[in-house]
Amino acid sequence: MSAFANILLGGVFHAAVLFLVAAGLQLVFGVQKILNLACGSFYALGAYFGITFTSFAAKYGMPVWMLLPALVFAGVILGAIGPVIERLLRTVYDRDESFQLLLTFSLLLMFQDILRFIWGANPRSIDLNYLVYGKVVFSDFSVPVYNLLVIAAAIIIAAGLGLFLQRTNYGRVLRATAENRSMAEALGVDVRGVYATVFTVGTMLGTVAGALVVPTAAASLDIAVELVVEAFAVVVIGGLGSMPGALAGAVVVGLIHALSIAIYPELELLATYLIVIGVLLLRPAGLFGRPVT
Amino acid sequence: MKLSRRTLLKSMAAASALASPATVFSPAIAQNKPLKIGVLTPRTGLAASPGISALRATEWAVEKFNAGGGIAGRKVEIVVEEETSPKDTIERFSKLVQQEQVDHVQGIVSTGVALALGPVVEESRVLTIFWDGTTQDGVEEKLPNPKYLFKSTDNECEAVMASLLAIKYWKGQFKKIAGINPDYSYGRNNQAAFIALLKRFNIEHEVVTEQWPKVGTMDLTSHVAALQAAKPDLIFSSLLFADLPVFMKQADAAGLTKSAKLVFPAAGWQHTAMKKEFTPEGMLFGHNTLYFDNPQANPIAKEFVGWYADKHKDYPNWEADRAYFSLVSYKNAVEQAAKAKGGWPAVDDIIAAMEGSSVESLGGKGGWRKDHIADQTFIQGFTTHKNKYDFVTLDKFDSMYSTDLQKPAGANFWEWIKTAPFKV
Repeated sequence: MSAFANILLGGVFHAAVLFLVAAGLQLVFGVQKILNLACGSFYALGAYFGITFTSFAAKYGMPVWMLLPALVFAGVILGAIGPVIERLLRTVYDRDESFQLLLTFSLLLMFQDILRFIWGANPRSIDLNYLVYGKVVFSDFSVPVYNLLVIAAAIIIAAGLGLFLQRTNYGRVLRATAENRSMAEALGVDVRGVYATVFTVGTMLGTVAGALVVPTAAASLDIAVELVVEAFAVVVIGGLGSMPGALAGAVVVGLIHALSIAIYPELELLATYLIVIGVLLLRPAGLFGRPVT
Repeated sequence: MKLSRRTLLKSMAAASALASPATVFSPAIAQNKPLKIGVLTPRTGLAASPGISALRATEWAVEKFNAGGGIAGRKVEIVVEEETSPKDTIERFSKLVQQEQVDHVQGIVSTGVALALGPVVEESRVLTIFWDGTTQDGVEEKLPNPKYLFKSTDNECEAVMASLLAIKYWKGQFKKIAGINPDYSYGRNNQAAFIALLKRFNIEHEVVTEQWPKVGTMDLTSHVAALQAAKPDLIFSSLLFADLPVFMKQADAAGLTKSAKLVFPAAGWQHTAMKKEFTPEGMLFGHNTLYFDNPQANPIAKEFVGWYADKHKDYPNWEADRAYFSLVSYKNAVEQAAKAKGGWPAVDDIIAAMEGSSVESLGGKGGWRKDHIADQTFIQGFTTHKNKYDFVTLDKFDSMYSTDLQKPAGANFWEWIKTAPFKV
């Protein structure tokens, strides 16, 4: 039982991080209709910046228990690059989707070199030990509290996003813009402002995810591309543009990843993409996506 | 201008003399030119830690050689190129040979690159020494008896030694074994060698899980959970890149470092990153051919480690020894051949002098077999926290020469492992 709980929590932790990135991807696609391949770069950027920020803060006396809030803060302030990139994307809003894909793919590659230029090509890891928050140990079951806090943070962000989109006026404006941009504009919605806000929030979700995962892993130049591939599996399973879909897709991919590693490690990727193919064949719009009419 | 037949013949003779290789010139002319050595090493990416350590050792050795008059009277110059993918590294090797016109090439850490580069070296006819990696596909030699290429010890030496030590010290203390190894031939062969040796010595065992993370995977949460679920008595791992400290952190958080015995034959590549806070005492830890804190180290090794610590505020890993061993054995061979010839030796003379030679390297005795495979001294032992560093070092350790760890020339590795006279 404890063995299953360990595997399950490993999968949920992976799902929590995937959800944050996929939620950013979904939000941007849902409102701006841009398939943002650069979302992996935001994740990598968050991981590297998280390391630098916390090292700097620790040097100036930040207590170790502040690690988690400091990483969230680092991810949030890094979201400031969102409006700058959104400004660049404006040039392709009214162009063919292939232009949008090419531009965001170029950004993904450019960011890899920017990361290499700033942080070098060697993998980086955080000096502060995430076990400062302790461990939950029960018989053979053992999990770092930090992992549970990351899962909790993802749940809070998911709930917050849901409430923001469903219950606030600005959320309604966003949904209206996503439904019909011209109508929203005609009714006086500042669409440019909406796009900048949405892209910034999407960027922040990626950078916060990267910053949160780095204490348990390390930052390397490859993590951006690796994550994009997984995030797209999440989006295909959950349905493009759907926030509940991002959550469902992330949970499916995270759990399949953890279970296949435990049961038959050779089939880790195959298992995930069999589900992707199954969804594409049986429900092309994804579990929560709306079929294109 | 009219050309007579005699003038034309003279001009052709002069032109062909100028176009001939440098070796036909008199030794006096050759010795005035610096000796150019090409170095191919990874300075960035996952393998940067060994690549940089080896490059620093090369620079240190060259400085020492030059202070003592160079190699056979010629000052040494190194030309450094990056080792990356097989294709790009082959291009850089060709650049070193054709554009830079180096006399000799050393380097290479990756097995994949070494396997691809081997035939190119033979074609180039430039004496080349591989620090690490092999020209084996799995454990099958793809370039037997090369002429110009000299290769490092077999990749499996460290796994064989770690397996023998695990059996020697822990026989009867484990039954359920798990593996987490990088998903390429090195990791797969090491795990298979461990299992083969357990069978060879009739150690009762049950493989409860085998994990194969892709090289460079930094999120190992699910792999650690799978190991936790399998509840092994012993974990064998040849993780050796930047993913090793990440794994160790997560394994420690999951309690695996306390519940299982740990056998890590290649951990020495990351030794300074294996911090005490998450790396336990009593783990079987491989430093391969250089243990920087060896109290019985020879004077040259002590001098090198002291210089390394002062200059780079760091401690060298085994790739530094591989680089020093390659350079010093090349120097000895050139000087021996030059002495015998009474002038600068041809490449064939240097090759002949290398074969069967032995030197004292940073990690101890080393030498070259007739089939151009290295023999070196390996060190593995049990970790301790009782030291002045923030990372683990060795408490009790064993030293073995590779004649007891690698298959003889032409042998099949899996057949050899079944019958080899191991000294456990």
